[in-house]
Amino acid sequence: MTWRDAAAGLIGWYAGVVVVFLFAINTYYLILMLIGFWRTIRSVREVQRPDSRRLLRSPLTPPISILAPAFNEEANVEENVRSLLMLDYPLFEVILINDGSSDRTLEVLISRFDLRPSERSYELAVSCQPIRGIYESAAYPNLVVIDKVNGGKADALNAGLNLALYPLFCGIDADSILEADALLRLVRPFLEAPGITVAAGGVIRVANGCDVRAGRVRQVRLVKRPLPLIQIVEYLRAFLFGRMGWGGGNSLLIISGAFGLFDRRAALLAGGYTTGTVGEDMELVVKIHRRLSEAGRTYRIEFVPDPVCWTEVPESLRVLRRQRTRWHRGLIDTLWRHRSMLGRPRYGTVGMVAMPGFVVFEMLSPVIELTGYLLVPLLWALGSLSLAFALTFLVIAILYATLVSVLAVLLEDITFRRYPRIRDLGLLILAAIVENLGYRQLTVWWRVRSFWEFWRGDLSWGAMERRGVRAG
Amino acid sequence: MPLLALLEFLRSCALALAGAVTLLSLLLLVERSIAALTSRRVKRREAVLAPLVYQAIQEPEGQAATDWALGGFDRHVVRGILLRLAIDLRGDSGDAIAALYQRLGLFQVDAARLRSWSVTRRARAAVDLGLIRVRGALPFLLGAIEDRDTRVRQAAAWAIGQVADRDALIGLIRLLGDPSAVVARRAQEVLAERGREIEDALVTYAGESGSREGRLRAIELLGWLRVSDAVELLLRLMADPDAEIRVKAVKAAAAIGDPRFLAPFHDALEDAQWEVRCQAARGLSVLGSPLSVTRLSRALRDPQWWVRFYAAVALAEVGAVGEAALTEAVEGDSPPARDMARYLLERGSAVPALP
Repeated sequence: MTWRDAAAGLIGWYAGVVVVFLFAINTYYLILMLIGFWRTIRSVREVQRPDSRRLLRSPLTPPISILAPAFNEEANVEENVRSLLMLDYPLFEVILINDGSSDRTLEVLISRFDLRPSERSYELAVSCQPIRGIYESAAYPNLVVIDKVNGGKADALNAGLNLALYPLFCGIDADSILEADALLRLVRPFLEAPGITVAAGGVIRVANGCDVRAGRVRQVRLVKRPLPLIQIVEYLRAFLFGRMGWGGGNSLLIISGAFGLFDRRAALLAGGYTTGTVGEDMELVVKIHRRLSEAGRTYRIEFVPDPVCWTEVPESLRVLRRQRTRWHRGLIDTLWRHRSMLGRPRYGTVGMVAMPGFVVFEMLSPVIELTGYLLVPLLWALGSLSLAFALTFLVIAILYATLVSVLAVLLEDITFRRYPRIRDLGLLILAAIVENLGYRQLTVWWRVRSFWEFWRGDLSWGAMERRGVRAG
Repeated sequence: MPLLALLEFLRSCALALAGAVTLLSLLLLVERSIAALTSRRVKRREAVLAPLVYQAIQEPEGQAATDWALGGFDRHVVRGILLRLAIDLRGDSGDAIAALYQRLGLFQVDAARLRSWSVTRRARAAVDLGLIRVRGALPFLLGAIEDRDTRVRQAAAWAIGQVADRDALIGLIRLLGDPSAVVARRAQEVLAERGREIEDALVTYAGESGSREGRLRAIELLGWLRVSDAVELLLRLMADPDAEIRVKAVKAAAAIGDPRFLAPFHDALEDAQWEVRCQAARGLSVLGSPLSVTRLSRALRDPQWWVRFYAAVALAEVGAVGEAALTEAVEGDSPPARDMARYLLERGSAVPALP
C-alpha cells in the first residue's frame, strides 16, 4: 500500500464522518424544532385562555428591576429609556448603567430626565468597576442611572445587580425594543412555579424593516435586504424553536443577553455576571445550572415563546462577522470553563444531553463542516472523488438544511403569524433556500476563525453599526 | 454495481427532500389561504348572526333561540360571540347571555367537554363555563378541581372564582395546599380577588391547616386582603418557631397595620431571620409611631441592607422625630447607617416603590 492509498483511505474515512455528521446535525435541528413547536403550541394555547391572561394582571406579580447597560448611546438613549418607562407592568424600576461612555450619554440623561445625584446606598454583592455616581429623578421615581468606570457589559450588569431593589431582574440591551407587555408575559413561569423558576428567556426578533416609532414596533414588516432577511429565518430556527426545544428538558444553556429575566438571589448565588468573557449571557445561565445542581436545589430555567424583544441585526458582512465570531468565542469560552460538567450525571440533562449536544452540534460543527468542504479538492487531487457522489451529497445537505428552515417558517406561521402578507411568506421561503448557498458557508468560516481568536485571548466586542430602525 | 445502487439511492433521497421542501412550502401557502378564508367566512357570518344574538340578549322573551336552527359552523360563531360578550358584560346582560348559552345547548356541550380525553379541551371547557358564569356549572367545576391534570385544575379554580357562591369559594381554599404549586397559585389568585366573602374561613385555614404550604399562602392572603379579624392569629404566628411562617405573618401584619402589632414588631426587629426584621421595619413604617424611633435607629445599623432600608423608610414616616433620628444618623459613626439616612433624607417621599 502506497502512502497515497493510505492517505486516500484515511481521508475517505473522514469524509464518511463528515457525511454522517451533516445528516446528524440537520436531524438534531429537526428534532429540536419539533419539540420546540409542540411546546410552543401548548404555551400559546395556555396564554390565550382568559384565565391565564387574568393571572398576568395579578396583584401578586413580583416586581422587576430592569438593567440596561449603555455605552456611547447618546443618540438613542433618551428614546430607549422612555420606551422602557412606558412598559406595561405593575411595579418595576429601570436601572440604566452608563458604562464609562466617552460621548454625552450621561449628559443627555441628566438633562432630559431631570436627574440629580443620589446618595442611594447599596450592597456590593458582586464586584464591579468603581461607581462614580448614582442619579435619580423626582419626576421619574422608578428610574436610576448609574455612572461607572468602563468595565464591559458584564461588569455594568453587575453594577446594576448591586443596586437592584426587586427580587427579579431583567437584563436587556439598551437599544432593544421590548413589546409593551413583554415583561408580563416573561414573568409567567415565575408566577406558575414561584421559588422554582430561576430564569426565563424571551424571543429575540429582527426589527430591521419594521415600522418603529417612539420606541415601539408599530407595524411588523419584512425587510427586503437579503442579509437581515436570511437572519430572520435563522432567528426563527435557532432562537425561537431551538431554544424552546432545549427548554423542555430544563436544559436551556443560553438566555439572550438582550432579553432575560432572572431571580436575583440565584444570580448572586452564581456570582453574578462573569467579566472577561464575551459570552456573559450564556455563562450566567450555565453557572446558575451548575451552582443550583451542586446545591441539590430543584429549579427550572424556562424559555417563553411569546414575549418579544425586537433588535436590529447587522446589515453588512463586516459587522455580521464581528457578531458571529464574538458569539462563537463566547460559546467556546463557556463550554471550556465548565468542561467538568460534561457527561456528569450530577448535572442532570444539562451535563448529559445539553452540553454534549452543544459541544458537538454548536461548537465543533463549523470545524467539521469546513473540513468537509476542504476534502473535496483533496479527494479530487488524490483521484478518489466521484463527482456524481460529491454533487449528490452536496444537494442532499443543502436540501435537508433548507427543509429545516422552511419548517421553521411554517411553524412560526402556525403559532404566531407575525408576518401577515402572503408575499412575506414567499420571501421567507426564498431566504430559507438562499441561506444555504453562500451565507451558511461564510458563517461557518467565521466561526472557525473564532477558535483562533479565542486561542489568542481576544475579548473584543466590536461595534454594532446601526442603520436606525427607529426611523421607521 | 453496489456503488451505482448507492448513488441511485442517494439521488432518490435528494428527490424526496426536494419534494418535502416543495410540499412544505405549498403547505405553508395553503395553510395561510385556509386561515384567511375561514377568517373571512367567520366575519361574514358574524355580521349576520351578531344582531340576532344582541336581540336575544336584550329581549330574552322574544323569539326562542332554539328556533334559529343553527348549523355547526354558525353554532361555533354564535358561541364565539357569546363568550366574547361574557368577558365584559355582567349583571342582567350577563344573566341573559348565560341563559341564551344554555338554551342553545352550549352549556351541555361544555359539561360534556369536561369529560374529554384531551386535556386542552377539558381546560378550555372549564374556562368557558367560568366566562359564561352559569350557576349550574358549579358541580361540574367542583369535580374538575379534582382532575388529574394541573392545567384543568388551574382552569377550574379560575372558573369557580367567576361563578362561585360562598360555599364554593370555601371549597377552593383547600387548593391552597395543592401539591402542584401552579394550581395553588391559581387558587390564591382567585381568593385574592374574592376572598373578602370568606375571610373567616381563610383565618381558620391559616391557623389550623395541616398543609404548611397552604398555611403560608393563606397567611399571605390575610395580609393582601387586610383581614382585620386575623390580628389575634397573626399575633400568635409572629412567634411561630417556623421562620418562614414568621416572615409571612409579620408581612401580613404590616399590611393590616393594626396598632396591636406595635410591640410584636419591636420584638421582631431583633429576630435572627433578616426577612422578619425587614418586614417588621416595614410594618413600623405603616404604624409611624414615635415609640419606635430608638429601635429603628438601632436597625439602621443592621448588617442587612434591606433591613436598614426599611428602617430608614419607617423613620422617614414617623415625622419630625424620625427625621431628627435620620439627621443624627447622618452625623453618626456608622457608615452604613449614615449612607442610608442620607439617602432617605435627600429623596423624601420619592423613594422607589416597595414590593
